[in-house]
Amino acid sequence: MFSVYEILRDNWLLLLIGQYPSGPLGGIVATLILSVLGIVLAFPLSVLLALARLSPWRLLRWPATVLVYVVRGVPLLMVILWVYFLVPILIGRDVSGFTTMLCTLVIYEGAYLSEVVRAGIQALPKGQTEAARALGHSHLGTMWFVILPQALYNMLPSMLSQFISTIKETTLGYVINVQELTFAANQINNQLLTKPFQVFFILAMTYYVVCFSLTQLALWLERRVAHKRLGAAAVKTSEDGVSLPPPPVVVNP
Amino acid sequence: MNPVPHPPGDDTMILFSNINKWYGDYQALADVNAEVKKGEVVVVCGPSGSGKSTLIRTVNRLEEVKSGQLLFDGHDIHAPMSSAALNKLRSRIGFVFQSFNLFPHLSVLENIMLSPMRVLGVKRSEAKARAAQLLERVGLSNKAGAYPAQLSGGQQQRVAIARALAMEPPAMLFDEPTSALDPEMVGEVLSVMRSLANDGMTMMCVTHEMNFAREVADRVWFMDAGRILEKADPATFFRSPQHPRAQRFLSDLRAH
Repeated sequence: MFSVYEILRDNWLLLLIGQYPSGPLGGIVATLILSVLGIVLAFPLSVLLALARLSPWRLLRWPATVLVYVVRGVPLLMVILWVYFLVPILIGRDVSGFTTMLCTLVIYEGAYLSEVVRAGIQALPKGQTEAARALGHSHLGTMWFVILPQALYNMLPSMLSQFISTIKETTLGYVINVQELTFAANQINNQLLTKPFQVFFILAMTYYVVCFSLTQLALWLERRVAHKRLGAAAVKTSEDGVSLPPPPVVVNP
Repeated sequence: MNPVPHPPGDDTMILFSNINKWYGDYQALADVNAEVKKGEVVVVCGPSGSGKSTLIRTVNRLEEVKSGQLLFDGHDIHAPMSSAALNKLRSRIGFVFQSFNLFPHLSVLENIMLSPMRVLGVKRSEAKARAAQLLERVGLSNKAGAYPAQLSGGQQQRVAIARALAMEPPAMLFDEPTSALDPEMVGEVLSVMRSLANDGMTMMCVTHEMNFAREVADRVWFMDAGRILEKADPATFFRSPQHPRAQRFLSDLRAH
């Protein structure tokens, strides 16, 4: 136990920010930046993918469906390797591991998140779409003004849990030398050589603490969203005998 | 019983000509020929599954038809057309749903303002003034800032009526507007509908409220198995229904 404390004392800065400023930014800060950027960029992509998958136009629906199925049917590591080898060829110059990993996460999370968005849209009562169309809104206008604001709010907990998955997925950046938390821990392990259990215990605990706190936040959010929705449904049930089935929310870190 | 379809006159608001609709092997609407005149209030009644809701939903093309022609204010609703053209037609057809379908993420005022602003391009200030007027008309001025979940069913349905009126439609369609309401809230919705009728609004209402039909309707259509079996003025319909199915329907109603 003492050596865990010693390792932390000697290497906390490396675990926190990697070799920055003398080297690239790393450690848990890089992990978090990568995750946040990944999910933030994946989000608009996922909304577009979901809209394309629910679109009445086949020309949009089919490519989006193929992309989502392919990405979801392939391990993340495969996507990393594909991006790693393909992107430099496509753009004609080398890209950093960080950029490679970011591209990968955007594609991968975009595909997963698009299924969350699609479920969120489809879970809304059909009457919402009908009412909007009856008032003369176009398909896209209905989505933008009526469906998405409701669906995205209901999806907040699921999106947060997707963010938690993303944090854990950044560890795979290790295989292409992305300087994130796992990379930093491995550097320490290589220096010390004799203390792998302690080093990787620290690594595991760090991930656990971050992800556990976020899971708690997701649960709290889920209760809040459900409460707000139930509040609405309860009024409806008690006063008019109409109850809306609550859309499913999956928290699945 | 069904007259031969005739060309619409100047006083025709909705004209159904030989409307047929199928759900797979099941014929939901069979040779419907009927006319709603301008300023007229038509109540469509009949047992569950008789095609009343399907019929009213064909008017703004929430349901497609297999064959036949449907004219609304001179426009052929089921003709092939771009979705933009259909959206434009729909914006002129007021529709009130059984389950209100207010937008829960918007306040009452915003529910009413949204479509005039986004579909018709009305200025925000104008839309707001109009929405406030309409809220007053349905007796809910004090609820402008409330959200749908904070309203009773009857209040929600009155907002839904105001929301439809905000598009200034030449006619209003009501699809069982009081069926999802507790009995004590039915009255407030019916009285809004009654005042609309008194103001000369053309209305087509699917409803089980026979008292409303008796007092407000100019014509009653009785439907069963996808057909309009009887069209009559309410006094005649309730006193001496002609079709045996209508007689049975009314005597079943009285038995309760």
